[in-house]
Amino acid sequence: MTRTLRIAVDIGGTFTDLAAYDEQAERLMFGKALSTHDRLVNGIQDTADVAGVNFEDAYLFLHGSTIAINTLLERTGARTALLVTEGFRDIYEIGRVNRPDAYNLFFSKHEPLTPRSLRFEVPERRLADGTVHRPLDETRVREVAQELKAKGVESVAIILLHAYRDPSHEIRVREIVQEVLPDAFVTASHTLSQEYREFERASTVAANAYVGPRVSAYVDEIEQHLGERNFKGDFFVVQSTGGLFPAEHARRECVRMLESGPAGGVIGAQAICARMGLSDAIAFDMGGTTAKAGVIVDGRPLTTGSALIGGYEKALPIQIPMMDIFEVGTGGGSLAQVGKGGALRVGPQSAGSMPGPACYGRGGTKPTVTDANLLLGRLDDKQFLGGDMPLDLAAAELALKTGIADPLGLDVVEAAEGILRIAVTTMSLAVKGVTTARGLDAGRFAMVVYGGAGPLHASAIARELGVSTVIIPFSPGHFSAYGMLFSDLRYDYVRSIFRKLADAPFEELAKLYAGMETEGREAIGRSSVREVRIVRAADMRYVGQEHAVTVELSDEMFQSQNRDAIRAAFDDEHQQRYGTCAPKEPVELVSVRMTAYGVMKPPPISDLAQGSGAPAPDALRATKPVYFASTGFVPTPVYRRTALRAGDRIQGPALVEEHASTTVLQPGDSLVVDALGALIMTIGSDR
Amino acid sequence: MSAITTKSKVDPIVVEIIRNGLLAVTEEMKSNLMRTAYNLIIYEALDFTVGLFTKTGETVSIGLGLPMFIRGMSETVKAKIAKFGDDIHPGDILVTNDAYTTGSHLNHFTFTMPVYHEGELIAFTCCMAHWIDVGGAPGGATTDIYSEGIQIPLMKYQKAGVVNQDLLDIIAINVRMPDRAMGDLRAQITAIVSGEKRFSELVQRYGKNEVLGAIDILADQSEAVARANTLSIPDGIYEAESFMDDDGITIGKRVPIKVKVEVKGDEMTIDLSDVSKQVAGFYNSGITTGISCAQVAYKCLTTPVDYPVNDGAFRSLKVIMPPGRVISAVRPAPMRWWMAYPMTVIDTIFKALAPAMPDRVIAGHHADLVVTTLHGINQDGRFFITSIGPVGGGWGAKSSEDGIGVTVCINDGDTHNGPTEQMEAKYPILVEKYGLRTDSGGAGEYRGGLGAEMVVTALSPFSFNTYTDRQHCPPWGLEGGLAGYGNALEMRIDGEWRSGPNAKAFSQRLKAGDAYRVLSGGGGGFGDPRLRPADKVAHDVSEGYVSLDAARTLYGVALNDDGSVDEAATKGLRAGADK
Repeated sequence: MTRTLRIAVDIGGTFTDLAAYDEQAERLMFGKALSTHDRLVNGIQDTADVAGVNFEDAYLFLHGSTIAINTLLERTGARTALLVTEGFRDIYEIGRVNRPDAYNLFFSKHEPLTPRSLRFEVPERRLADGTVHRPLDETRVREVAQELKAKGVESVAIILLHAYRDPSHEIRVREIVQEVLPDAFVTASHTLSQEYREFERASTVAANAYVGPRVSAYVDEIEQHLGERNFKGDFFVVQSTGGLFPAEHARRECVRMLESGPAGGVIGAQAICARMGLSDAIAFDMGGTTAKAGVIVDGRPLTTGSALIGGYEKALPIQIPMMDIFEVGTGGGSLAQVGKGGALRVGPQSAGSMPGPACYGRGGTKPTVTDANLLLGRLDDKQFLGGDMPLDLAAAELALKTGIADPLGLDVVEAAEGILRIAVTTMSLAVKGVTTARGLDAGRFAMVVYGGAGPLHASAIARELGVSTVIIPFSPGHFSAYGMLFSDLRYDYVRSIFRKLADAPFEELAKLYAGMETEGREAIGRSSVREVRIVRAADMRYVGQEHAVTVELSDEMFQSQNRDAIRAAFDDEHQQRYGTCAPKEPVELVSVRMTAYGVMKPPPISDLAQGSGAPAPDALRATKPVYFASTGFVPTPVYRRTALRAGDRIQGPALVEEHASTTVLQPGDSLVVDALGALIMTIGSDR
Repeated sequence: MSAITTKSKVDPIVVEIIRNGLLAVTEEMKSNLMRTAYNLIIYEALDFTVGLFTKTGETVSIGLGLPMFIRGMSETVKAKIAKFGDDIHPGDILVTNDAYTTGSHLNHFTFTMPVYHEGELIAFTCCMAHWIDVGGAPGGATTDIYSEGIQIPLMKYQKAGVVNQDLLDIIAINVRMPDRAMGDLRAQITAIVSGEKRFSELVQRYGKNEVLGAIDILADQSEAVARANTLSIPDGIYEAESFMDDDGITIGKRVPIKVKVEVKGDEMTIDLSDVSKQVAGFYNSGITTGISCAQVAYKCLTTPVDYPVNDGAFRSLKVIMPPGRVISAVRPAPMRWWMAYPMTVIDTIFKALAPAMPDRVIAGHHADLVVTTLHGINQDGRFFITSIGPVGGGWGAKSSEDGIGVTVCINDGDTHNGPTEQMEAKYPILVEKYGLRTDSGGAGEYRGGLGAEMVVTALSPFSFNTYTDRQHCPPWGLEGGLAGYGNALEMRIDGEWRSGPNAKAFSQRLKAGDAYRVLSGGGGGFGDPRLRPADKVAHDVSEGYVSLDAARTLYGVALNDDGSVDEAATKGLRAGADK
């Protein structure tokens, strides 16, 4: 029997979402169920049951999960040891010695995932050029391994200096440790990062070891469950780059799935844009506690070579390629409060799901963004989550009055409006973090908005940024899972090089790229995916600079060995990012990068039935008063999204409700439902 | 007093939005400078400061950078305004590296750009960054400013959009690595231009009156917080004293640091008249830095997490700072290592106020960059000069928390050390060790943070300098807590380790195989060490932060062979201490 179903599941903090596509029936299916934190796989089955899909019908199971990042942030990982070159036991604890919270005497610093008593030195040393300065003392490694065994270590991370030049010592240490501790999770830095910076590599490999046992057990559990349900296809996990990798790799290189969920959303946004012929877009996701922004330029999401996890001053660096996603602590549950000196602040503290916003009626007394939306009529006390969860308007009003309005001498409506405006500016900072901070003009981009709370604020954020087109995709509440259906298999490789561009030998470059390509093709060859696409890039800088800029090398540029074209591409990129370039200064290569894609067949985006150009009468659920800054409360039509048809046009002010989200159209905005079911909003020019 | 109700015509919500906008302006200036800079001291150590100033030079927002430069840039902008007055026009960029204006050393080139709105001057953007070389003697002791490099007075780098090429040529011929210097210059221009662009956008978006009004209100909000927190300190006069090892010229002659603080109602006066007179060696700094000492201490105690950094936070602070002191030095005092002493002045202010506000101060920290400077010929056969470090050191304990270990001193903020892998790839060195110093944190109920040790071997000959102080006046404890270890230096010459009378080395030649070891101090402890819970001491021992011996002698804690607390012996040790 030919299986034609592919299933994608995204596990978030509150909900587990499923999107599935049946190629034969050309049908999309969605499911949403509460996440089951005691045994996450139950939530996966629940959501499959809700959507009515069977794993035995599927040839592909795609998965994104917060398990890796939660294990890291909640510190619930394994008992982990770190083995490091002699003399450098403390580099992981010392870190980069910076103190960004510069005037705070009560500042804090990153806390290693492994205590000092489980960090051991290994006698060996390599120099920066890769030569062995001191051979590996294998006897000592064996002794250390015995000690790890005696101390009940479950997981071992290995980081040796300059291993990116030659990993043979790391490989040998790993072998010895595996011999002595056959059941332990063992990971060496070179398998994750081949770039210099020992603290960042140590932090990366330690994080991998720390989350490894739990993540691999989780992957096993899903695999077993799928087996029990007669699933016979490929099980792929979404990496932080948005690319997929097989479960067997996810089990070993767990830190590659830290941003798995948000990455799925950006891939979805990319797919939608491709269908619409848009090359540049912002992908914006707003949930209960955070808002996240990614950006798509020339049809591809921007990525970064490393990221800091967990608040800047205490952050643990992870030095692997990731989607460049900027996150701010603003979501529907963000608390509003008046600080000393009379300043109104929103977030980053959140009411979470318990007690939740005041209007949830679960004992919360502090006002939140959700309370403000309810008071202004943008949310409906009887229609929240399709009416499954009634909201308490009086509680929201009381919280807004005592918490904000009275201390600032405002009325509750002004207070609610103020909270939303501040939330909007903070969220626009997330967008600026991936656009203006990268030298990109946000106003030039369309914005794809999703996540339960995103469509409520999309219009206001767009105004703040000068964005004129907003796209609310079909089913924004399930969008991260939906996006995964568009991912490709992906393997990323980087090699440090340090060569002046003017005299970099192309044979050496070709050899490095060929080595990476072979690895990539082999890795993809182990799956059922057959079509391979190779993308080469190089990190370059002006001689003397430190920070490099990644420039993609087209096949033509690379094969013709055209140094001038490569150099011009770098100057352009520098100009675009920073507003300056120096075409007369010498340029050097820092590292070469290669990405191998195993290209998968994306699901077609199905057409929506054509409407009459205006919403059908039954699409109008109600007309009710909603507050807008320019008009005050005005009677506002409320439409059911499921009843809208392609080509339907709506003029703001209006609300469009669906099960897990509400889209706000402010006065001056308009929208049209496109053939693919997305709401295309044109933002009004008035503020 | 609520600042908002007094003079606000701007909606408090717009104020908060503009606050975020101002922070975004200086953040972008910072990131553009870092990402495009040519020397490690800027992109890695973040030895720079960017800021936005009113048209009279008052601070609106500072992006860190160097926390100690909280005053230097504003005063430099004011000096430029004083000199050029009405002769500032669109397209102008003003420059100086005058040490007595910035209050620091000649490496701090400072560029300032006016911001106009509909033809009216409304603000300045400014960027100070540390150039790796500005000419002068590359190492060794200097005794006047003239031997420290080129001096650029208050000048126009660019006039109505046209660069002053003569000035550039003069700078280029006076510095050792002109390509680096010019690269950093370009990065600084990138920063002030991007600041100008973003601030203009903010004004266009929200209106000039709203933005300037919001800036006033933000300063008032900071003032309100500072005054409220000052009011909570008991009135009184508080004094303390400490000392520096020496000025590098007269070895062993201590340099006294005495401070006096008066708290009265919601105002504080910090009197620095009794800080040592300016010294012969290059440890002097200008009066703007003297005032910075008081402001940094005051901000740490009253508005530590209030952003953006603005001058409203200092309206309730008065500083008495006569000229001619080591932190208010006058021409031609040498200034190369300007940053070392002020940190101790700040710590001494905390020490003075400890009896009045024990829960908000901190015990002494290592108070030094603990950085070394190398110059010579690198692997590629080219001249190099570089700094290794900052190593980071221990911070003092507080009344409720242990001190933080191995973190950069108070002069610096978001400053990073250099990765060993990167330094070894660029310079002829081998780092043999970079690790914690056991027992270096001062004992106390709350323990001081640990200092670090770094051992560096020369792979080919080079010249080595380090100007570290505070070996002999180690970071002090508070409320019965003990001092941490001081900073120190050892050198291995011809296979033999040796140390001198202080932690300094001037133009020391190292041959291949010679080495140096720099040691950073630990933070002071807080409270009687015998009150530290024995299990916490046992944990410190098992992690190697405290030795078995120190556990017994300083904390009165005895451990069993398995590392657990020997309760009976501990009781005996701790009881014995009371007799």
